[in-house]
Amino acid sequence: MKVQINLKEREFPPGTKFTQVVNLIREANKDEPVMKSLIEKTGQDHITFILNQRIIRPQEYDSIELKDGDDIRWIYPYAGG
Amino acid sequence: MKGVWGKVLKVDLTNSICKTETLSDQVYEYFLGGAGLAAYYMWKECPAGTTAFNPANRLTFAGGPMTGLKQTGAAKWTAGAISPSINLNADSAATASFGIEMKEAGFDAIVVHGQASKPVYVVVEDGQAKIKDARKFWKKNAYETEDGIKDAEGNDCEVVTIGQAGERLVRFANIQTHKKSFLGRCGLGAVMGSKMLKGIAVRGAQKCELYDPQEINRLNKEINRRVAELDAAQPELLQFKRVGTAGATELFAPQGNLPIKNYQLARFPSGEKNLHASEYVKKLNARPWPCQYCVMQCHNLCEIKKGPYAYKGKGPEYESFAMVGFNTMVDDIEAVAYACELANMYSMDCISLGVVIAWAMESYEKGVISQRDTYGLDLQWGNAEAMVEMVKKIGERTEGLGYLLGEGCKIAAERLGKGSEDWAVQMKGQEIAAHNWRAQYISALNYCTGVASGPNHERGNSQHIWVAHVRLPEWGIDEVKNEERWSWDKAADRNAKFHDYCNVINSSCHCKFHEFRSYTLTDLVKTINAATGWGWSVEDLRRCGERITTLQKILNIRYGWKKEHDFQYPKRFMEPVHEGPAAGKIPVGLEDAIRDYYRIRGWDEQGQPTPELIQRLGMAEYIEE
Repeated sequence: MKVQINLKEREFPPGTKFTQVVNLIREANKDEPVMKSLIEKTGQDHITFILNQRIIRPQEYDSIELKDGDDIRWIYPYAGG
Repeated sequence: MKGVWGKVLKVDLTNSICKTETLSDQVYEYFLGGAGLAAYYMWKECPAGTTAFNPANRLTFAGGPMTGLKQTGAAKWTAGAISPSINLNADSAATASFGIEMKEAGFDAIVVHGQASKPVYVVVEDGQAKIKDARKFWKKNAYETEDGIKDAEGNDCEVVTIGQAGERLVRFANIQTHKKSFLGRCGLGAVMGSKMLKGIAVRGAQKCELYDPQEINRLNKEINRRVAELDAAQPELLQFKRVGTAGATELFAPQGNLPIKNYQLARFPSGEKNLHASEYVKKLNARPWPCQYCVMQCHNLCEIKKGPYAYKGKGPEYESFAMVGFNTMVDDIEAVAYACELANMYSMDCISLGVVIAWAMESYEKGVISQRDTYGLDLQWGNAEAMVEMVKKIGERTEGLGYLLGEGCKIAAERLGKGSEDWAVQMKGQEIAAHNWRAQYISALNYCTGVASGPNHERGNSQHIWVAHVRLPEWGIDEVKNEERWSWDKAADRNAKFHDYCNVINSSCHCKFHEFRSYTLTDLVKTINAATGWGWSVEDLRRCGERITTLQKILNIRYGWKKEHDFQYPKRFMEPVHEGPAAGKIPVGLEDAIRDYYRIRGWDEQGQPTPELIQRLGMAEYIEE
């Protein structure tokens, strides 16, 4: 099935859970210095995940199964200029 | 055409004449508004040889198709002119409500030229304009001037003003509005001062017709909700509502992105602790002070209730904080905030101010200047009191060092000599901003090649690929790895795309910070289409960005840009720091990257737009013989 992640189309097998995509994104960014620093200081990376325009809370990740055409966005924690 | 008036107000200060001029649809389709419109008027009316303080210089205040749509971030507007620091095309953006009120007064832009014989201010109301005597406001600071104009014209008008630094032609003087938003960079306040123009007041009640108001409402609802929810979902120390842009210090330290001690150091432990976002809230009592319609609310009202730095007013943004604090090694958050607000009142850009004071501190440290030159001030690194006093000396253009620093560190170093050019961290006459090229090499490329406002982090923003993880997937910037920070592979292409991106944002008049909370090019083009009815794709948006960038390039060539200017980067670019996340990183290969950027842009080896590019963009009438 086709799922968009930050406007880029990706292919996933049916039955893929939301938490699997979350883990993929976290793994891809684990060496990023700000992520490392935030995890060290706060215990979390603070990436925000959005599915079909709704912010998904961490406690929901395991319970959501993706569907064809889903639109996933993830937002890096940032404030600055 | 919908979404804009098709009308600008022309103000001739020499002859004291105000008149309305209409513009063709093509001008808006090519250049949108804002920065693009300011560049258009420079192209149309400022021939070669026009300099910043020449009465012929056009100072254009412009909104765009986003102005007044009530979408979060659509309070942004832009001003542009030939800059007295870089002597090239420059634009700067501000928020609050001036742009919206100008549009409600019936104009897409106000274009000022000439020079009044005595200080004046302009009042624009519902399609009419008057030029009035401002002699009683001359020598007052920018905030007092705003208060005075509002007393005279009514509190319901929106006002832009300059302070003493603008009057006295400090080359990095800015223009302020509502005591909270600033046309910061490139010295537009000095241009205004050179015209003897102390302020402009606008007021109106006209509503510009939109192509699809229902779609605008739908988009606003969805986007405003999404952005607000995303900001609320951030950790407290990064919520714009709580800490504004000062939260960046938390994120930039682990990247090596901070400017410390005139860009000499990588670490400043007491600064990182005392100038931290959490201290911003605690010590400065920060509260949200939003721009009109904005749900992100990154501006803060701060209050220091007692002590030598007591004030109530605008809290410093990241750039101001970083340059006046980290870059001068002053770790007293109250002193930094107070100094920034002083600068605001005098009307000075805090970025340039912080760099010139840091340059002076390094000159003092190296014995090139002494206390004889510094009015008896011990201008050591970290001396908060001396730093604050220097802000006043520069704002007042006090004879001697204060006056010299008001020329910017390029001219100051040229006049002082004694090797001080080596630590003048500037390009083309403008001081480098608070994004460290050692943390991501693309910042160096951006500073060297920017055409909108010289070396300006906000007119390229390519550093946001790393510092903020901003992507432009619709334009092909999606997968980016952390280690690419120090690679030139794809840097030229990414840099070009971000230049065009900044231009469409600053010309349509939207706030770039919304990109940090998921605002996309698709959101932008849908909104522009709903306002105007143009039916653009994201590729059409890119073409528009390219046209604006190309017009700015044509202007810069007209006003004296030469290829070698892009290669005259500060000596400090190639001096590494020896600790921290960017230890040892210097942008070797920068010159090849600049040449690569020219090629990607469709410019020739001399950095000039090629005939093929001009034809592809349909800009034959804009090219000079």
